[in-house]
Amino acid sequence: MTWGPLIYLYLWLAGMAGGAFMAAFLVDRFTGGGNKPLLRLATYLGIPLAVIGVILLIFDLGHIQQFWHLMGRFYIVSPMSMGTWILLLWVGAAVVLVILWLAESYVSKETAASLKGITGLVSWAELVLSAFIMSYTGVLLATSNQPIWSDTWLLPALFVTSAVSTGVALLVLTSLVTERRYKKTVASGHILSRLAEADAILILMELGVLAFLAVWMGATASESLRLLIIGTLAAPFWVGVIAFALLIPLWLELANWGKELTATRSTLRMALASTTIVVLGGLVLRAVITIGGQL
Amino acid sequence: MPKAMLIDVSKCMGCRGCQVICKEWNDRPAEKTENKGSYENPPELSASTWNRVEFYEGYNEWTFRTHRCLHCTDASCVNVCPTGSMHHEVVEITGGGGEIEIVLNDQLWCIGCGYCAMACPFDAVHKEVGELLVGPDPELNPIYSVNGSAQKCIFCIDRVQNGYEPACAKTCPPGAIQFGERAELLASARDRVAYLKSNGFPEAYIYGETELGGLGQMYILTKRASELGLPDAPEVATSSVLMQWLSGLIAAGAVAAVPFWLLFRRRRRLEEEQSKVGGEQR
Repeated sequence: MTWGPLIYLYLWLAGMAGGAFMAAFLVDRFTGGGNKPLLRLATYLGIPLAVIGVILLIFDLGHIQQFWHLMGRFYIVSPMSMGTWILLLWVGAAVVLVILWLAESYVSKETAASLKGITGLVSWAELVLSAFIMSYTGVLLATSNQPIWSDTWLLPALFVTSAVSTGVALLVLTSLVTERRYKKTVASGHILSRLAEADAILILMELGVLAFLAVWMGATASESLRLLIIGTLAAPFWVGVIAFALLIPLWLELANWGKELTATRSTLRMALASTTIVVLGGLVLRAVITIGGQL
Repeated sequence: MPKAMLIDVSKCMGCRGCQVICKEWNDRPAEKTENKGSYENPPELSASTWNRVEFYEGYNEWTFRTHRCLHCTDASCVNVCPTGSMHHEVVEITGGGGEIEIVLNDQLWCIGCGYCAMACPFDAVHKEVGELLVGPDPELNPIYSVNGSAQKCIFCIDRVQNGYEPACAKTCPPGAIQFGERAELLASARDRVAYLKSNGFPEAYIYGETELGGLGQMYILTKRASELGLPDAPEVATSSVLMQWLSGLIAAGAVAAVPFWLLFRRRRRLEEEQSKVGGEQR
């Protein structure tokens, strides 16, 4: 197998980094800029995730010491070349954001106000880059001649919904843990509940994309569909992806719908369980698809 | 006029001479293998086996097809390569022998990401890392294999450049592998197909005349391509790359709109309106 664990770990981490940023950015904007700590959390988490992802990717190369050849040129039709630059820009912009946030507390009020404009601009750019990073993880596999990956145009859509879902789950999970452990509030209970609800909707969207993908595959590449649903991949697909990664967390999140996550011991337990499963489920999905395309 | 290769499946007798000479000429090491219940061996094309004869057993008949890189004009491996190491090399043949376009991987520039292997519609490119794969000093001859770089048939560039035919064509006892001017090969292929059609192979046709912009190594097939391990309608991996990007970006837009806009923006607006109405009533 040419692309193994390092690749699907990388696809998972990079997608989650982009998804968490996009989710936090949207929550912050849609609530009138009232959720900066959440956005900061997404950025602080995203940088190491993306960097670890890149390191894994480099270790998968046949010539580790030559990874810089990726930066030699820019090929718009090669998703890996595009992806390299998008990742570099994403990490760069995230680091700039961190520096700007740190700077805000050290400079005079007037300078801080002007810095805010730049921060806003960079975070908008980072939102666009996040959409590209998440898409890239799917486009990388889809631009090939492997079954499942290249049979439809829907793999990037599936990976994007999954990336945002895992990103949201990571944010909720980290917020709950920091609040319990370090008594530090990242986002209000209200926002966390809405985020968990958003995740349930995202899982439903993911199921929708999967169903569409299955129908499309059935029409144009029935061999791949058979491989996935009744062939060699059937057990990991139904148990790992459908049941574990999607239906179980969906059920837990629907059971918690409209409730404050920290209201009771059981709601908290369900929230912690569902978010952890969503995060891990994202890895299962990528592993099944990555391995499946190479069988 | 460019040179090309024509492989006539109807003439192949499955001797695997081409497979052996490919290993010999290109210094490809032997592989550990196992009996899989077929005369085919080794089990698959790999970084150290660039040419392998596949056996297709039918009712009272055998069909053999040599599996190797077909040197596509619209080459998926070239398109997806992020470093440009996989490329088309136009080689002038010495002594005014014309030219040939070869898909070649620059062994020293390749980073070994394996994307070409994933993109190839013919499963002809492989990347493996192993002690066995170290070739002669790459600095002296960079067309040879470098451990960890993607490997495949190099159209015997060293022979062709110097006016010789590729090793597999040279060695083929029944003349099933022919090397020559592309136009001449195609003309003879048409005659051969017409002959085959009226002599027991009604499905015979030329594969590679127009597929993927024209293949550098074409086949005369006696059956449908998919019955002989080839895609019936091969596609360039990057043919849908724009749609794939759009699919991701549209999904990102939908995700932003549905859960986030609905749950955060719209709900906040509704709450604001409600509190306004409540204020007026008071």
